[in-house]
Amino acid sequence: MSAMELCDLSAYELAALIRKREISAVEALESTLERIELVDGRPGSLDAGEITAEDHAKVHAFITRTEETARAQAQAVDKSISEGVIPGPLAGVPYTVKDIFNVRGTRSTAGSRILSNYTAPYTATAVERMEKAGAVMLGKVNLDEFTHGSSSESSAYQPAPRNPWDTSKVPGGSSGGSTAAVAAGMGALSLGTDTGGSIRQPAAFCGVVGLKPTYGRVSRYGLIAFGSSLDCPGPVARNVRDAAMMLSVIAGPDRRDSTAVTIPVPDYTAEIEAGVKGMRIGLSPDFFKIQYFNHESGQMEEEPISDEIKQAVEQAADRLSEMGARVVENVPMPRTKYGIPTYFVISRVEVASNLHRFDGVKYGYRTPVPAEDLDELYRRTRAEGFGAQPKLRILMGMYVSAAQYSEQYYQRALRVRSLIRGDFERIYDPQGEYRLDALLTPATPTPAFGYGDVYGDTVLMQYADQFTVTGNHAGVPGLSLMGGLSKERLPLGIQLLGRDYDEATLLRIGRAFEVATEDAAWRKVRPQVLEGLS
Amino acid sequence: MTEYEAIIGLETHIQLNTETKIFCACKADSWGDPANSNICPVCSGLPGVLPVLNRAVVEKAVLLAKAMHAEVQSDSYFDRKNYFYPDLPKGYQITQNDHPIALGGYMDLPLPDGGTRKVGITKLHMEEDAGKTKHEHGRRLVDFNRCGVPLIEMVTAPDLRSADEVAAYLIRLRQLLRWLDISEADMEKGHLRADANVSIRLKGETGLNEKTEIKNVNSIESLRTAVEKEIARQIREVEAGNAIEAWTLDWDEDTQSLSKMRSKETMADYRYFKEPDLLVVRLDEAWESAILADFPELPLARRERFVREYGLPEYDADILTSERSLSDYFESVNQAYGGDPKRVSNWLMNDVLRLLNEQGLEAKDLKVTPGYLAEIIKLVDANTINTPTGKALLEKVQQTGQPPKEIVEAEGLAQVSDTGLIREIAARIVAENPDSVEKFRGGKEGLMGWFVGQVMRESKGKADPNLAREVLEELLKG
Ligand SMILES: [Zn+2]
Repeated sequence: MSAMELCDLSAYELAALIRKREISAVEALESTLERIELVDGRPGSLDAGEITAEDHAKVHAFITRTEETARAQAQAVDKSISEGVIPGPLAGVPYTVKDIFNVRGTRSTAGSRILSNYTAPYTATAVERMEKAGAVMLGKVNLDEFTHGSSSESSAYQPAPRNPWDTSKVPGGSSGGSTAAVAAGMGALSLGTDTGGSIRQPAAFCGVVGLKPTYGRVSRYGLIAFGSSLDCPGPVARNVRDAAMMLSVIAGPDRRDSTAVTIPVPDYTAEIEAGVKGMRIGLSPDFFKIQYFNHESGQMEEEPISDEIKQAVEQAADRLSEMGARVVENVPMPRTKYGIPTYFVISRVEVASNLHRFDGVKYGYRTPVPAEDLDELYRRTRAEGFGAQPKLRILMGMYVSAAQYSEQYYQRALRVRSLIRGDFERIYDPQGEYRLDALLTPATPTPAFGYGDVYGDTVLMQYADQFTVTGNHAGVPGLSLMGGLSKERLPLGIQLLGRDYDEATLLRIGRAFEVATEDAAWRKVRPQVLEGLS
Repeated sequence: MTEYEAIIGLETHIQLNTETKIFCACKADSWGDPANSNICPVCSGLPGVLPVLNRAVVEKAVLLAKAMHAEVQSDSYFDRKNYFYPDLPKGYQITQNDHPIALGGYMDLPLPDGGTRKVGITKLHMEEDAGKTKHEHGRRLVDFNRCGVPLIEMVTAPDLRSADEVAAYLIRLRQLLRWLDISEADMEKGHLRADANVSIRLKGETGLNEKTEIKNVNSIESLRTAVEKEIARQIREVEAGNAIEAWTLDWDEDTQSLSKMRSKETMADYRYFKEPDLLVVRLDEAWESAILADFPELPLARRERFVREYGLPEYDADILTSERSLSDYFESVNQAYGGDPKRVSNWLMNDVLRLLNEQGLEAKDLKVTPGYLAEIIKLVDANTINTPTGKALLEKVQQTGQPPKEIVEAEGLAQVSDTGLIREIAARIVAENPDSVEKFRGGKEGLMGWFVGQVMRESKGKADPNLAREVLEELLKG
């Protein structure tokens, strides 16, 4: 096993050392930049040319690196601390930002050619709060184009990110750059987004902690929208405490986002060690199978999930039970199977509208071909600027919201969405039969799949989000964390789904699970790309 | 001869006079400002921005809804109307479709024959404006200043029956909007925009025939003319056996004519859906009653009351209630005066209105306070000054802001009621004008006015004209 570097420390540890002036923010940053040099390879670009064997062995988390501003930020933190002022709870902690957030003066591409030349004139609220807390931004990390995917392969910026545990596998997506970076020590934290599972699924694939907060808990201002009623910015971290620290920083009301709730933000680390004694944690059979619609037979069909993941979840339930939680089995979540089809409709309608603004008129890419008229300008710009995923989603969104189909698809999907919400309300109802504090599920049906294996099959790709997407429909929080390692040495992800605005309980359970598995053999294994580093 | 009647509905867009835009903090009114000077990431639709609703827009919408007798909804929603156009930076307009702020409503439009036309309202909702595009030197220029300016779209039922009724409706609407301080309601500046849907039918028929839509008219007068012309055209077409087609007609102000606009082959599908970036607009009882706490008496009700309570002629009542501050002013003067309201009305209708028009003021801005005007009228009533002096005094008070009595004293404006002095002047004039005297005595009694005028001139306007007349009659007839 290789030596631990500063960049492998948690945000909590780094912040404490920097605060106590045992290390400087600049040292933490330089260690991280060195790691990036060693494992990340070339950043994603539009004209990547041939993807070489060397590329295959690297992580490629970044699109844009901002070393210079990072150094300035780190120096400012050190200066401030030397003057006796602690800039904030994350002072000096290096982190990355998914390239779907606007950061003033920084290229903000959304992983798309259509924003390749776009420099944001303002900063997203969540990023602004990280800055205020003293965190040091390393740069913008890669993602599926406009967050449209579950593997990060669809980015217009290649090479796309790869899984640090096995670079022949995908890191998941769409926050694949974020989770790969955190897993490989390229920043202790990353700011991701989750619309159908885009934080939790790649966190599971990369063996890190990913938290999708309750809808409205973190402001969406400055996040380039995908599904506006589903999008949640959230933390990616290496452990639960770090995720809690980061959530405490980024959560809260925002006068620029009216859907950001005004409910007060607790200190999510305060009760984190309080354990699970007396908590009711549910297991649902509906999360132990993949259910999908077979277009040929016209029937819903079922397939089992990976045995290894199933076991990881069962073992997690055992650990939590040993720590005093009451595990409630056979909790019915009958609408889980409608999660993906419903998502296919709602997210597409919203994104088709959200992507209207990219028309080549005001900013971003515009076709170099002189257009005969306005319609041609629009058509060429969008045909050349968008990749396959946004195009597919726009087409589908246009179709299902058209006047003659809206009732049949969109309005119906909205009704199904409230039924899905009903599933959750029933199991959390304090007067109900289940009275759960959380639901324990697999985060994904399988561990990370091979690079190129699923890409191109939009429907199959989407089923990677089967267990995460209902949380977005219902708006409830979800925490994804590593629950073990497969025989192939790939992380196995488990998920905790919770009550509205009750991230604190999920974090507490997650932390208890970490404590319970502290000495597990799989905890000692490091990602492949970190093996053999001096 | 066949008799036709016109069936007209109006689609109006009302620009609200809020300080800031509907979803951001930019200044709402950009009149005279350079292009793209009142914009921010939100109203220019940059990636990642979100709208935040300006509560003042809701408040003004509620005021209008109440004035139109519409049913204000406790929950309303915004929707996205999706389409591509360069002046629409997000590619969708945030508007209200399924669940608007108010439902139903009507306006009782007084007609010249004394009757009333009940004009139904079929739509009343809040929305954001788009920007402006113009073509210059083969380039298309876009100005986003107007993006996000708050609008209320209000559509009438096809209840208007003539071009005159169209004009009357818009005049009443403009009056109401200013009365409620909702909008400047200036059609020339685009604060009030109106498109007219026009069709005709034989009198006595009940169905609706194909209609045309008149767009881009910039004044009430022009819309009256445009509608008149379109009705005449439709009658000509029908008489000639031609069918009316559902055209959109563009008004050309310079040539005062309508021309057919390029028609779209298919109806646009805006793919409306609920705006996920905004919450439900929840108008709870507390908020609604706060908005309506100072809801004023409306112009038509006040007009009726002026007739009833003050015994004013309809004509006076109509003019005095044309504008809220004028009607308030009338009531205040009347209260301070305590005499015949018609006398106050005369002063307002003749002198005060002229002053307001000349100086471009509203009654509330006058230096002649209601108290001062009452004082001037009382001075005239008491014969302390004569009427022409009173009118001159009004101007002086407005210039200086000094109390009328002080001016009268300082400038010695008090009327001469000294019979001796007047007799002396009158005698001199009679002596100096033997020709006129002879003519008067020969039966040209109309010359009396001339003699009185001479006395007034000689006395520098201070003589009591009634007294002068008395003395002159004595001298001339005697
Ligand atoms: Zn603005």
